[in-house]
Amino acid sequence: MSADASDLSLVRRVQRGDKGAFDALVLKYQHKLVKLVMRYVRNPAEAEDIAQEAFIKAYRALPQFRGDSAFYTWLYRIAINTAKNAVVSRDRSPIEYDLDRNNSEESYDMQGRMKDAETPEGLVLTDEIRTTVNAAIDALPEDLRTAIVLRELEGLSYEEIAAAMDCPVGTVRSRIFRAREAIDHRLREVFEGGLGRAEELG
Amino acid sequence: MNEELDSQLSAMFDDELLPQECELLARRLSRDGELKARWGRYAVMGAVIRAERGVRLNAPLAHRVSAVLLAEPELGVTAAVPARRAGVRWWQPLAGGALAAGVAAASLLWLRGQVPLGGVAPLSAAVPRQAAPAQPLPVVAPGAADSRYSYVTPRPAVARAPVVPSTELANYVVAHSMFSTPVARRNLLSAFMTSDPAAAGTEDPPDDAKLDVKVDAQ
Repeated sequence: MSADASDLSLVRRVQRGDKGAFDALVLKYQHKLVKLVMRYVRNPAEAEDIAQEAFIKAYRALPQFRGDSAFYTWLYRIAINTAKNAVVSRDRSPIEYDLDRNNSEESYDMQGRMKDAETPEGLVLTDEIRTTVNAAIDALPEDLRTAIVLRELEGLSYEEIAAAMDCPVGTVRSRIFRAREAIDHRLREVFEGGLGRAEELG
Repeated sequence: MNEELDSQLSAMFDDELLPQECELLARRLSRDGELKARWGRYAVMGAVIRAERGVRLNAPLAHRVSAVLLAEPELGVTAAVPARRAGVRWWQPLAGGALAAGVAAASLLWLRGQVPLGGVAPLSAAVPRQAAPAQPLPVVAPGAADSRYSYVTPRPAVARAPVVPSTELANYVVAHSMFSTPVARRNLLSAFMTSDPAAAGTEDPPDDAKLDVKVDAQ
């Protein structure tokens, strides 16, 4: 199995002018990218802004992406540079968010709370999503739960999971798919309108 | 929803699908809203399992990016135009230069055999015929017994009628005058202006003066 073939097929479509394929790349990597950016900025809302900027930069630079490296590696590099630049420009900005220089961490949290206060329902929804997904995972049969956790938490390939679980690769693929279907079923039951704006895409 | 399709989508999300199948599914994924939403939920599941704290799972990031990109030109269009321009850019000067050089060289070669035109005399015409080589090569009439030398006697220069460029060449030079050198262009154009228009269209090129000279090796 060629690594990154999935991303590469989407990237090639974007390079040929299919913007819809880029939505799929954003949906796949948005959480990972925000998590990555949050190593540089503590505020989730600011991290989302930086991640958004990184995605747009990546889109504009995509004609130069030749596929020599994995797409996510390339994307992460853009995100890290964007985050570093954002931190530098914020530090140079005459407008200081941290009014109390002795406790800048607290001021960052306050800033984050102020931005999050705009969408309190968003925080609630995130908690509900977590609760639902975790409950669905707990309700999974052992073999399905092990397969999906090894995949998502440990990042193992299907072949590695097959070796770990002593079963064929096809079985791993089926187990992961069935685990996702079970979780997705619970998610759709709870949130009839879909998750956030993801349903609106496409 | 087709279960096999969903199974493929799950495998594609994990980069565990064959490249050929990825190509087909990527096409469908980019257009099918339901499939894309499912793809997005797969990403949410992963984020929850990895316990990515602080990350808002319902953040409309994808929607925001998509909205911004609506104003962006499609990459297929923007990438193709510079490539096409770049392709033209590298050979255009070369072609222009080659064409200009060709026209200039053809003009000079052609003018060298003509009588002086427009006050600019070809170098060959500036030299008096009498001042030709002091010891000319032996000349033998055709059919002579000595076959070592043979030639066709060229016509005297004075007998040749004034030659003006043919209409085709004139049209060609005028049409490509922007690529020719200023000197060549000026000479040719002045020649056209001063030549007899009636003769210009009927003038035949001079007979080829066949000169086949064999020189004794000794």
